[in-house]
Amino acid sequence: MSAGKSTQAVHFGNTRLPQEQRETLRKAKKLEWITIAFLAVTVALVYLVLGNSQAMKAAWIEDMLSFLPPIAFLVAARVIRKPPTEQHPYGYHRAIGIAHLVAAVALLVMGTYLLVDSALGLITAEHPTIGGVELFGRTIWLGWLMIGVMLLIAAPPVFIGRAKMKLAEKLHDKVLYADADMNKADWMTAVAAAVGVAGIGIGWWWADSVAALIISASIANDGVKNLRGAVSDLMDARARTYDNAGPHPLLGRIDDFLDNTGWVGKAKSRIRDEGHVFHVESFVVPREGSTPTAEDLEQLREDCVDLDWKVQDLVIVLVPELPEEFLPGVETGGED
Amino acid sequence: MLSAAPLLAGCGVSMPADPNGTLQEITGGTLQVGVTATAGDEGDWVRLQPGAEPAGIEPDLVRGFAASREATVEWTGGTEHELVDDLEHGDLDLVIGGFGADTPWTKHAGMTRPYMKTKDKRGKTVKHVMLTPLGENAFLLALDKFLLAQELQP
Repeated sequence: MSAGKSTQAVHFGNTRLPQEQRETLRKAKKLEWITIAFLAVTVALVYLVLGNSQAMKAAWIEDMLSFLPPIAFLVAARVIRKPPTEQHPYGYHRAIGIAHLVAAVALLVMGTYLLVDSALGLITAEHPTIGGVELFGRTIWLGWLMIGVMLLIAAPPVFIGRAKMKLAEKLHDKVLYADADMNKADWMTAVAAAVGVAGIGIGWWWADSVAALIISASIANDGVKNLRGAVSDLMDARARTYDNAGPHPLLGRIDDFLDNTGWVGKAKSRIRDEGHVFHVESFVVPREGSTPTAEDLEQLREDCVDLDWKVQDLVIVLVPELPEEFLPGVETGGED
Repeated sequence: MLSAAPLLAGCGVSMPADPNGTLQEITGGTLQVGVTATAGDEGDWVRLQPGAEPAGIEPDLVRGFAASREATVEWTGGTEHELVDDLEHGDLDLVIGGFGADTPWTKHAGMTRPYMKTKDKRGKTVKHVMLTPLGENAFLLALDKFLLAQELQP
């Protein structure tokens, strides 16, 4: 593994983001701050009208948990800018994976807790009690305020979520994606809670617990989905697209590029998704009779890095034949 | 959203409703009230005297509420534990006895909005409430409206 290893200092960790991604990152940060501000208002408003409704409680806890992804994103966005050090030769990119994992576990734990809590409420036939509240000198049913607040806060996250979704694709950011995905589904929580309270209003005591069950199931589901994604990334699974829909196309592009280089006979890479950027190890078999120089290798390395901003940390290893132990599946399906 | 209230009411839907129909039952009927005496000098909340109706601030309020609903009051004495148990099983509609908003009975009973605030002998604020059956929201709201409309001075 020596011939291909670049000895010169390359600034992997320095965010060498192209203009477009730099712009996207700036927008994403702004949106996350907007999200946090919106959530702060939401949490305060919902708290004021919380009452005895289990559905409202579930929605409120979901709002509290919704703080985690934006905070995780903002913290990680700061940490990953650090250049690699002697202690952290691969840089700090994994911060985003850790943030993702923490958010996922929090979602799963709270979702499960609420699920059990709401189910118990349903089984023990707890009748939620919601009385009056004094507003502008008049006594009205607190339920109306609950419904009003929930409907008021239902719509904005959908728009924020949609905007973030676009940025997540450009940035290849899974935390941002998870966050956007949750925001997009947030209106259902709000509407479910409002329906639950309306159910109490017409005398269906169980409507509240049922709404709470739906909300907690969605929280737990978010947790499971994110936990899967976060763990598989931390386990260095094959790089996938930002929404985990399929293998990342860059994988094929790098191999194609290598294959189409004059002196390369065969080439195959393995890629680790470090969060935003990829770490790539490319195994290259020279064409028979060709003897690549150190300059050739460095040139190839630089050309590969230029392929995409996500490719920053790339090592080329010259090998007599593609090693099965590093490239599982290379013998069976990987050869071109 | 505030405009939705009269709108729905206009459609003949009354919100909130009682799952067990308490408000409907007591209107023009009987209000079953559990009373437990309050000892001590913090206030004249409930005084029980042999051979006479309960007296004090809370029995007076209850009589006022019952009158507004054309209901007759039937009093039942007992300990807090007995009364809350009766309330939970639908044998009582209301329990009074100088309860504060920090009452430990909230898992078994609903409570009204605090209708009065006083200070206890340790200087702590006590928000006075009455206990209602869980989930009987129309009844609770009617009682809340009545209580909050009273000009009560400690």
